[in-house]
Amino acid sequence: MEVGFLGLGIMGKAMAINLLRSGFKVTVWNRTLSKCDDLAELGASIGTTPSAVIKKCKYTIAMLSDPEAALSVVFDKDGVLEQISNGKGYIDMSTVDDETSTKIFMAISKKGASFLEAPVSGSKKPAENGQLVILAAGDQELYNEMVPAFDVLGKKSFFLGEVGNGAKMKLVVNMIMGSMMHAFSEGLVLAGESGLDQQTLLDVLDLGAIANPMFRMKGPAMIQQSYPPAFPLKHQQKDMRLALALSDEIHVPMPVAAAANETFKKARRLDMGDLDFSAVHKAINQ
Amino acid sequence: MAQNTRLFSSIPPLSILRSSEKCHHQSMATFSTFCPSNPVSLSRPSSIFHHRCSSRFLNRIRSMSGSSDVREHFGGSIGFLGLGIMGTPMAMNLCNAGFDVKFWNRTQGKSNQLTEMGIKYMSNPAELASTCDVTFAMLADPESAIEVACGINGVASGISAGKGYVDMSTVDVATSKLISEKIKENGGLFLEAPVSGSKKPAEDGQLIFLTAGDLSLYKTVSVLLDVMGKSKYFLGEVGNGASMKLIVNMIMGSMMASFSEGLLLSKKAGLDPDILIKVLSEGAISTPMFSMKGPSMVQSTYPTAFPLKHQQKDMRLALGLADTVSQPMPVAVAANELYKAAKAQGLSDHDFSAVIEALKSELATS
Repeated sequence: MEVGFLGLGIMGKAMAINLLRSGFKVTVWNRTLSKCDDLAELGASIGTTPSAVIKKCKYTIAMLSDPEAALSVVFDKDGVLEQISNGKGYIDMSTVDDETSTKIFMAISKKGASFLEAPVSGSKKPAENGQLVILAAGDQELYNEMVPAFDVLGKKSFFLGEVGNGAKMKLVVNMIMGSMMHAFSEGLVLAGESGLDQQTLLDVLDLGAIANPMFRMKGPAMIQQSYPPAFPLKHQQKDMRLALALSDEIHVPMPVAAAANETFKKARRLDMGDLDFSAVHKAINQ
Repeated sequence: MAQNTRLFSSIPPLSILRSSEKCHHQSMATFSTFCPSNPVSLSRPSSIFHHRCSSRFLNRIRSMSGSSDVREHFGGSIGFLGLGIMGTPMAMNLCNAGFDVKFWNRTQGKSNQLTEMGIKYMSNPAELASTCDVTFAMLADPESAIEVACGINGVASGISAGKGYVDMSTVDVATSKLISEKIKENGGLFLEAPVSGSKKPAEDGQLIFLTAGDLSLYKTVSVLLDVMGKSKYFLGEVGNGASMKLIVNMIMGSMMASFSEGLLLSKKAGLDPDILIKVLSEGAISTPMFSMKGPSMVQSTYPTAFPLKHQQKDMRLALGLADTVSQPMPVAVAANELYKAAKAQGLSDHDFSAVIEALKSELATS
């Protein structure tokens, strides 16, 4: 199967590599073209613009950092819309708000092509290991056609219905994750301030009803004040913001998420945006 | 007789040996309501009812402990104060393991299972503490813990040199230190031992003990903790166990509040909250609590494993701890407001997952 792949950041690069290694023919594009070189060494073709990639491929996947990038790739000059046409499929796996996703969907549909939003749950390591959870919505036929690719990229995929549902599901998941990381950080800091051993707290948490992979994976580094980026804090804060905006639209109170978001914002102000989102731990007392 | 098929966590499984003696009761025990405003007089001598341990069983325990630590096994008598949601199954596990256990509870008829076993109560905590080698307590809050330990006819009045008091209630540091001092003043040894885990882990003997205080007492009761739990920690001086427990429950309370926000948001956004639960279970924040409680929360039912009022108490005490070290806790504060709102709605005795109702109520008035 041949696919186009737009966006070779932390996630996109790992995903494109998995597709190549599983025997897919992949044509890649990245805003900074030099990032395509590693992929070319593994057998990928390079497209110089998003439209060039669309022209070549029946199916194109996009993995971009935020709504602005996702819209730009579609609507700007040399963008997706210039070459997308009937018979082609566009699969946007970026995490965006449902309004952005709908905008893209409508523009793609107008050209006669089919659209699938498919944001993922999982960061760098699951991307590398093909263990993502894919939250797809939109064109069901296109979803079925993409299953072979999804099986390579992830461990499980969900089809959630109409466009917007995938985006919303992703935002809800990441909102809970952000609040959990903040609660966890508060606990670690309080333990330290109270003279307790923080590793013991980690051990106790891991034995009980609130044990989870995130605490297990991130806890030890956080105790060392180390935050190597698997999921950049700036993207986590973007997701909190989008989730709160959604809750605003439909009048759902979210006091805990709102409180957590304040610290994520503070962390960005303190230039921690490119650190792992666990760096919120450091921001609490800054 | 209630079945208990799970005995020890750290010792290889052994077949259950039933006590060869039945429990007999000779006369009705008196029950006293234990509160400072009604000073409790020493009641007429009541018969002491306990579950006798078959010596065959005890020898088997001793041979299986295998440790070089001299106090690994326990041949003495145990007192148990507090037969609520947690205390009842914990006491039963000790009972069914063949240990010699006597009880006291503030209100009569709290535990049907124990009544069925023919177990009756001692008259007051002081009497229990004076007749038992080690007394355990599992009480609802700091107020009860202080009353039972330090009040009239409390544990401190009955305890003496060589005897131990193990308070497994979840309290704040100051309360625990107060109780510790009072017990030691009267010659006893003290161990705080709050637990992580609610009703089901208590029933299954899968609790986690977060102990601190007297190390020798910890060693003495280790085999008993192993009957009731799957892990135990000794964390040093009194107050460390209490703090650790409060921090764990604070994180849990905040997580439950966040999960509630997520469930409600997904529903109002037109998604299926049951699918959200499935998605969560596949990823990095897959958590037993979400999988266990989520489905009933979606149905708006909250069967009580851990009462909301106790969760709110723990949030409050954790924030109190944070206050003593001037530590900001914005998420815990926000979560605590929701638990308070839920209490105001009359949900105190529901499971703490009922906190989601506090959000729904805000939704209704917006």
